[in-house]
Amino acid sequence: MDFPSSLPPTLFRTGPLGLSNGPDLSSTCSWRDALALPEPLAQSYQKGVSCVATAPLWEPETPGPIPLLPPGPDPWDPGVTAQDLLFRGGVSFRRKPQAVLDVTEQLSRFLWDHGDVAFAPLGKLMLENFRLEGARSLSKTKTVVSVKSLLQDLGGHQPWGCPWASLSFRQRRFSILGGPVLGTSVAGILGELLHEELALRWEQLLLDDAFTGGAMAWVPGRAPREGQLVFPAGGALDKLCFQQVIVSPSGDPRTLGDPGHIWLRGPVRQVVTRTVQGESLLAVRSDYHCALWKVSKQGRPVPLQVLQVGKGATGISLSPHLPGELAVCSRSGTVCLWTPQDGLQQIYKDPETLVFRDPSPWRWADFTAHPRVLTVGDRTGVKIVDTQGPPGCGLLLFRGGAEAACQKGERVLLAQCLGGCGPEPLHPTLHLILTQFSLYLVDERLPLVPLLKWEHELPSAPLFAQLLPPARPGHARPLLLGAQGGDLRLLQLAGAGTSAPRLAGPPQSLPSSSDSLSAFPLLEPKSQWRLQERLKAPTIGLVATVPSSTSTPALLLFQLSAAGDVFHQCLRLQEDPGPDSRAPTASWSPQATARCGHWLKGLLEVPSPPPVWTAPAFSHRRVLGCVEQRQGEQRGLEGLRAAMAEGRLLLRRDLGAVPSAEPPPAPEPGPEDELRARLEAAWEGRAAAWWERQQGGSSGPGRRPKRPKRRTQLSSTFSSLSGRLDPSDATSPPPSPRRASPEAGSQAPVTPPPQKLTQEPWAQRVPSERRQTLRDYMAKLPLQADTPGGVSSPLSQASSVQATPSGQQALQEGSAKQPIRRHTLGGAAVASSQASSGRATPSGSQPPRKRPRMGF
Amino acid sequence: MSDFSEELIRSKTEDDQEESCVFSGTGMYFPWLQKHIDAVATEGKKEKDFAQTTSACLGFIREALLKHRWQEAAGYMHSYLQVLEDSDSQKRLGAPEIIWKLGSEILFYHPKSNMETFNTFADRMKNMGVMNYLKISLQHALYLMHHGMLEEANRNLSRAETWRYGEKSSSQEVLINLIQAYKGLLQYYTWSKKKMELSNLDKDDYAYNTASRTMLNHSWKTSVNLGALIQTPGVWDPFVKSYVEMLEFCGDQDGAREVLNNYAYDEKFPSNPNAHVYLYNFLKREKAPREKLISVLKILYQIVPSHKLMLEFHRLLRKSEKEDHHKLGLEVLFGVLDFAGCTKNITAWKYLAKYLRQMLMGDHLAWVQEEWNSRKNWWPRFHFSSFWAKSDWQEDKPLACEKALVAGMLLGKGRGFVFFLCRHGLWAILRLRSRTKRTWSSAQGHGVLERELVNGRCIELRPGICW
Repeated sequence: MDFPSSLPPTLFRTGPLGLSNGPDLSSTCSWRDALALPEPLAQSYQKGVSCVATAPLWEPETPGPIPLLPPGPDPWDPGVTAQDLLFRGGVSFRRKPQAVLDVTEQLSRFLWDHGDVAFAPLGKLMLENFRLEGARSLSKTKTVVSVKSLLQDLGGHQPWGCPWASLSFRQRRFSILGGPVLGTSVAGILGELLHEELALRWEQLLLDDAFTGGAMAWVPGRAPREGQLVFPAGGALDKLCFQQVIVSPSGDPRTLGDPGHIWLRGPVRQVVTRTVQGESLLAVRSDYHCALWKVSKQGRPVPLQVLQVGKGATGISLSPHLPGELAVCSRSGTVCLWTPQDGLQQIYKDPETLVFRDPSPWRWADFTAHPRVLTVGDRTGVKIVDTQGPPGCGLLLFRGGAEAACQKGERVLLAQCLGGCGPEPLHPTLHLILTQFSLYLVDERLPLVPLLKWEHELPSAPLFAQLLPPARPGHARPLLLGAQGGDLRLLQLAGAGTSAPRLAGPPQSLPSSSDSLSAFPLLEPKSQWRLQERLKAPTIGLVATVPSSTSTPALLLFQLSAAGDVFHQCLRLQEDPGPDSRAPTASWSPQATARCGHWLKGLLEVPSPPPVWTAPAFSHRRVLGCVEQRQGEQRGLEGLRAAMAEGRLLLRRDLGAVPSAEPPPAPEPGPEDELRARLEAAWEGRAAAWWERQQGGSSGPGRRPKRPKRRTQLSSTFSSLSGRLDPSDATSPPPSPRRASPEAGSQAPVTPPPQKLTQEPWAQRVPSERRQTLRDYMAKLPLQADTPGGVSSPLSQASSVQATPSGQQALQEGSAKQPIRRHTLGGAAVASSQASSGRATPSGSQPPRKRPRMGF
Repeated sequence: MSDFSEELIRSKTEDDQEESCVFSGTGMYFPWLQKHIDAVATEGKKEKDFAQTTSACLGFIREALLKHRWQEAAGYMHSYLQVLEDSDSQKRLGAPEIIWKLGSEILFYHPKSNMETFNTFADRMKNMGVMNYLKISLQHALYLMHHGMLEEANRNLSRAETWRYGEKSSSQEVLINLIQAYKGLLQYYTWSKKKMELSNLDKDDYAYNTASRTMLNHSWKTSVNLGALIQTPGVWDPFVKSYVEMLEFCGDQDGAREVLNNYAYDEKFPSNPNAHVYLYNFLKREKAPREKLISVLKILYQIVPSHKLMLEFHRLLRKSEKEDHHKLGLEVLFGVLDFAGCTKNITAWKYLAKYLRQMLMGDHLAWVQEEWNSRKNWWPRFHFSSFWAKSDWQEDKPLACEKALVAGMLLGKGRGFVFFLCRHGLWAILRLRSRTKRTWSSAQGHGVLERELVNGRCIELRPGICW
């Protein structure tokens, strides 16, 4: 093997990270690399040959990637965002911004939403000191408090946060006595756990290393222009798909039939393929399992072996030298060599990190030019380990420190051997190291000193890299970098044999999937937002191929997103970029737009993801609701029994107040209601359907008067809160008088009705953005509260503490949410309609994921 | 007085860093953290408009550069220059470096840019603040060298060499050393040009004497320039190479040896294989004793067992009288063939086949066995699989034959590689017969290697033709 006869000049310093004392020669400019070698200069300047002229330009064919496959049937939700985790209020601009995890809000939310979980164990402990029904009983040994009176004092709403709530003496005493107990137990245990969880989620949001290496791979087929894409699909990413792809002579990929698939028992995190000595192998890493397949000549996968990794696997790589040999790393710091015939051989174990202490358990391993020598990496560095040597020894290949002029806080994100690619490898001993700031090329024969350093400036973590064979012999080799956010960089590496590797030409950034937005037609805001979110989904796999025997050299790039979408783009080699030519701007071809349109149609047919969060229910109201329900059931049961005993027909009145099946007649829609309906339809994303309906004849027999939607109700609530409420609506007596118990009628509402609230001067004092919150909060308040029925059985109490049947719970949630409507529109039907829709959004303009704010 | 510029540099870089990338809690910096925080913060004091526009402009320049839109980038750069008037002193001080970095890149690639533009830009940037003078001067000189303006580059470097600001700090010192070294390199170029001219002159000529005198003069100057830098730990291949060449020419062999020894063996330097290669080449030119050469290559063997020189090393070891050198010679050959990049090196295979035969005949079975033991579980799959037999046979028949010889000695003929060749390329085996048969039978005589060596199936299958 040739070693570069003259290496680029580098200063060598030892020391920790961020030692900025001295000039950093390696990465001052990207163009500096083009003239790094002064030795061949003497010849080159005489000829007048510039290195830049030979650098070919890969030019994207379309302004953005195009979908390759129709969207999967599973809905996708972007999950937690920074907004959900970070403290939102009043962050002043600083030179050194800080992320503050919003534990307080999350904790209070948790207590609101899952009060039963938070307080049930304590409640159980204190059960004997409380009576759930009847009056306070006197016992000589201990004090027993009646809950009923406490709840009555509470009047159906929480006084916390509301300055107008009057605290009864009992409540005051209870909170003073019980506060410390409840507070310490919940905050002490739960708060810690919650903080830990939030910190974990936040770390994951900043850097999700599960997909390091990428979950997509390309298995070349028998013909030069065909192959298989292997990638996970399905909502849980547990379906490993094999999609046949044929590349046309012009360079366009075409899928062939439906993908074959294998169901796995865990999410696929990494897919690796390699063809060694004519044998194609496929390795897959899941969280706790690794599996190996052999891909037959016909392209069928044959399972070879599955490995269980107890602590969790972080990386897998296939040997480029020996067929069927793998390196597997686990979170415990162990690296094993795995062959299906011989099983596992532990080659390295160290729970500590290599260079300095770092809490991350991420480990990585790859092969080197020597089949028995591996690289072992963690966040702080990369080590070369001889599998045949004594355990624990080795040589550091890369050190997070002054040797590579690393910055403070810089960590290794990916280490990859660039050898074993194509028939004439660049330097089989070359290794690529990616950190969040830079790219390094290190030769294993000259450890610690990077031969090349380039600041990639990627706006998210670079987790994928692939070196491709040159488009033409003698050309530079494209090196593709992919980041989690979908950003791509294309570099060209030149230099083989006795010349040191260098960058040929300036690096390029390639279009990412969010650039494809312009190919889609403009949609209604909701669908547009959904499309945007979908296109912004993080990338979890990246693979490229240079198909041979195409008319012009092409580079095909496939990208897999966390939503399961496979997008592709084609790059063409621009022939002889003259000095005056500028990069031409690509435009959308009609075929590309048609494909995008087709894909979009599929996407809009996919149902929206179920809400991550459901509206909270006040736990004591849940109890009460349950009591009422039981009561109603009981009455029905009694009536049935009585009728059976008497042998007469069961009449409607025997069952008491049975929820009426028909919705109450809504007022006839007027002309302004048409506008409302249209807007509503537009919000729901069904504007087209509305128009068709409108066109198809508004007086069709199937057309029923539209029931007012929940959203409209809410929005009317809010508009009423701003002072335009029809007074008859609020003051009119409840239409189902049978349901309102006399007790409830006698109970005076603690809080004044909403329309009065708004007219009060406080509304003007409250800042406008908080007014909305307050309205949301008011909307939650059961204004004319149902009081607990005369009897509250301990049975119902117990059931609420343990588990409430889901249907009932939903019903109760609905009823708890909308007390006003319940009274005005005669409750049960509305409540059931809410339960069926299953979600409450406090104001229509907000995205559904956003939680309504209840506190202040 | 403390070094003001050093202080400035330090405070600036630290602040820059903490501004662009934020601490997360694990000690890792995330350049994209700010984006998340910006997405969340709805209240509070925001950045000023000025700062917002300049940072947006910087983003546009970077994007345009990555999309190779040089004209567009130049347009944005024009607007970005406003950052030099930023009221935030830290940003203002950090700006020239960013402007230089991006601006020089634009001018380097811009289709309409020419050398005058670049020179004007570089000269302006050099004098903007005091911290960047040396760095920019050096890069400017490199740019000029790249475009063949050696004279101009030399002038630039000379100007920078004499520049001082405040007390001499360590970073300044390294830069000045580097500038001097590049200047020395330029002198080396003129020197080697003169040397070329001189080789065409007659030795008795008067002109020859004056020319050689000027050359000596030159080399003396260069040694002053290069000497300082190559004492600093680093990789200085081009400098060391030219320095040694000039010292050798002047007859200062001891000086050259000292430089090379220092470059190769100083522990503060990274273990650079080229340092040992240069030393070895020097010693070879000097006709140093074989022992000396072997000791140099031994170290190179420990660093890079796959180096090209290893075959030469093997030849040296083979010629040596010492027993352990012979053993090392075998080790070296096996070591070379361990590497993926050397599997098709026919010379190595030829040497191995020959040497193995020699070893086996010479009663050194234990040595072969020792080497083979660590390789027997992977060499057959790595070198002698039927896939390689087939492809070697199709692509490079001599290589396949050499490999077959080795495989036969190590594995026996009954398996994969030899078996395949026996079936496909009988003529070649026949051609090799005389050599092969002797070797294999000698191996068998000692019963070295795990398997039957000669009595393979090959003979059973085609006894008449093959043997």
